[in-house]
Amino acid sequence: MNRYELTYIIDATLEETARKELIAKFSSLIAANGGEVEKVDETWGKRRLAYPIDHKTEGYYVLVTYTAPVEVPAEVERNMRINDSVLRYLTVKLVEKHSKVKPRPVRQAPAPVAVEEAPVVEAAPAVEEAPVVETPAVEEAPAAPAEE
Amino acid sequence: MSEDREERRPRPRGGRRPRRKVCSFCVDKIAYIDYKDVNRLRRFINERGKILPCRMTGNCAKHQRQLGEAIKRARAIALLPYTAE
Repeated sequence: MNRYELTYIIDATLEETARKELIAKFSSLIAANGGEVEKVDETWGKRRLAYPIDHKTEGYYVLVTYTAPVEVPAEVERNMRINDSVLRYLTVKLVEKHSKVKPRPVRQAPAPVAVEEAPVVEAAPAVEEAPVVETPAVEEAPAAPAEE
Repeated sequence: MSEDREERRPRPRGGRRPRRKVCSFCVDKIAYIDYKDVNRLRRFINERGKILPCRMTGNCAKHQRQLGEAIKRARAIALLPYTAE
């Protein structure tokens, strides 16, 4: 199911009853194909065309908003092509404009690298060097130069 | 950084600096340019009915693309002219 917006122009010279019939016909066509007509807007009504279509300078604008399965717009447009009173039609698929801003992925903090220096076990040399027992070498007093 | 660039580019003598145009759709925060909004679309075509380039209107690229689409749709159902003398 999609939402569609259909705008079509009916020949302005068509009498009001025939025009109403035509609008009702297209609305029921949508409903018959499993669609649901939301709104039929005729606020524009009779309007001057920007350029003549089939030598006509005026047209009756009808705006229909409906929700329907995908095959329905093609079927509606096919019927509009057959009908001579419809000058133009335009179907637009309505896309809900949702915000394109996606939630940003939470930046994961890098795994805690062991930055902290492992306490370098300053293993104090357990075995203290055995104090070298200095055995004072018995120094012999230098022999005093024999005095003459 | 920008200061460096200002110095390098000589300012047109005597004239005021051309102001950077801003995209009017961005200013109005329009997410979808409607083809039925004829009065708004009319501002972006010239008297011949041609779509104005964004360098003249200041539109951003994103809105200029949407605008082109909207004007073409409006033309298809005779809300805007394809051409006008």
